[in-house]
Amino acid sequence: MIHNGVAIDDTFAEAFPMKATRLLITAHNPTWARHAAVAATGFATSVIACGCEAGIERELSPDETPDGRPGLSVLLFSMSGKELVKQIERRVGQCVLTCPTTAVFAGIADGEAVALGKNLRFFGDGWQTSKVIAGIRYWRVPVMDGEFVAQETTAVVKAVGGGNLLLLARDTDAALAAAEAAVAAMKRLPNVIMPFPGGVVRSGSKVGSKYAALSASTNDAFCPTLYGLVAKSELNEQTRCVMEIVIDGLTEADVAAAMRAGLDAGIELGAAAGLLRISAGNYGGKLGPYLFHLHKLMGAAT
Amino acid sequence: MSVRLRLKQAPALRLDLRGIVPAALAGLDAAAIERLPLAQGRQALALAEFFDVVLGGDGDTVAFEGDLSRCDRIGWQLAGGRIVVEGSAGDHAGAGMTAGELHIHGNAGLLAACEMAGGQLVVEGNVGDFAASAQPGSLDGMRGGTFIVRGNAGERFGDRMRRGTVLVFGDAGDFFASRLVAGSIALGGRAGAHAGYGMRRGSLVFAGAAPTVAPTFVPAIAEAPVIWQLLARDLARHGGPFADLAGRRVQRHLGDVAAGGKGELMLVE
Repeated sequence: MIHNGVAIDDTFAEAFPMKATRLLITAHNPTWARHAAVAATGFATSVIACGCEAGIERELSPDETPDGRPGLSVLLFSMSGKELVKQIERRVGQCVLTCPTTAVFAGIADGEAVALGKNLRFFGDGWQTSKVIAGIRYWRVPVMDGEFVAQETTAVVKAVGGGNLLLLARDTDAALAAAEAAVAAMKRLPNVIMPFPGGVVRSGSKVGSKYAALSASTNDAFCPTLYGLVAKSELNEQTRCVMEIVIDGLTEADVAAAMRAGLDAGIELGAAAGLLRISAGNYGGKLGPYLFHLHKLMGAAT
Repeated sequence: MSVRLRLKQAPALRLDLRGIVPAALAGLDAAAIERLPLAQGRQALALAEFFDVVLGGDGDTVAFEGDLSRCDRIGWQLAGGRIVVEGSAGDHAGAGMTAGELHIHGNAGLLAACEMAGGQLVVEGNVGDFAASAQPGSLDGMRGGTFIVRGNAGERFGDRMRRGTVLVFGDAGDFFASRLVAGSIALGGRAGAHAGYGMRRGSLVFAGAAPTVAPTFVPAIAEAPVIWQLLARDLARHGGPFADLAGRRVQRHLGDVAAGGKGELMLVE
């Protein structure tokens, strides 16, 4: 399948079930809301070593937030509910509670309720108070700029992590341009985040390693450095730079929509801009229950 | 099925209407409802002695018609369904209710909503003393739900209340929210003397005239814009003197310092 000169591989991305929550972070102005959201979603590119994958979903205008202040919504994904609870407490405690003027609210109502401000309240050393408004409990913790308000709980829902696209391009400039365009298109959609730096990962991995201690290692089939050296390369003389975009979403449909948006953005640039091929990463379909076939995604909306 | 109970005439002695709730009347025919016992003093008399029973209509509603100001404990421990009083109610209206809705078109007597734990109670008229408070001898007053008084409230309103949301559109008597443990009370009119006397926690919102603040309260130098917006927006849903709260600023006083000082008076400017 070729669109605008870009070959779409007959392959699929393989994704896994995750647990996720959405938090709404508000502040006195957008700058400080962003400082808190950036910090809270920092070092959260991969569950392999970060504990969770997190990112900013979108900006919220004052009329979209519970307290009428500007804010951002962030999504956090973990492999288990237990780990997610730990990450919420650490990240909100160290990055939102600490950030001037912020408040934090649950961004999802339905699902298993887990602690948000419930444990952070003890920072108040006995001066914390709670307030139940319209059936929702909020904690008010005295801090040096006034008080930190946090909803008592947030809801954890089932989610999908690990949707991806591999963009095979002529050179670094073309690969970056295609990846940036695809990420920008995906960011316009709700319920998804691209957790890697700038939404893009250049160190795609395969399962397994020659070293027994490692469960994953560099995806040599897509490394241009190894073209001609490894037994089986996916590349050729033209595809000399590859970028991957990883997508976590609240539902399978959200991930599929983001992948489709990324495909469209890449195709729009086309071979003329140096994007030659779009592929996807998988493990033979044995590991993840969610399979996103690129050709099916292309067919879904045409 | 809905049940309408039409009071034949005002009872000579006070009448206890506990137990006449939608769940208890469900599935009963008119004759069975007429035989239900009602306590009057030491006597148990059949409901038909006092009320005409009319069945009909969908829903889970019990409607009382007439002046029931001598009928006490309407909606006592109500746990679901809807009760409408198309007139005034006696004492203990909605006391101990945990869910459902009680709507009183007239006034309510003493101890309305006392120890209410859930659901919604609306009184279109006035309420007597000790509304939203505790039963005599009990440590905790109202502990959940929403209580709306569109008229005025008597004295000791919200005494020992510990949770829930209350709105009084009119004025309140002396010792408004005395010994409040927690919860939120908003007042549209003016409060009598000693508002918030001995309150431990909780928020009192004065949307109308500012009360006399006791010397056991300290003025807050820090603003609390987030919780004010959350609270004001919720109160604004009920309209009246609360409709524009979210757009107004508040001056807070913290106290009662004589009881820990974790409560607040929010004086709307």
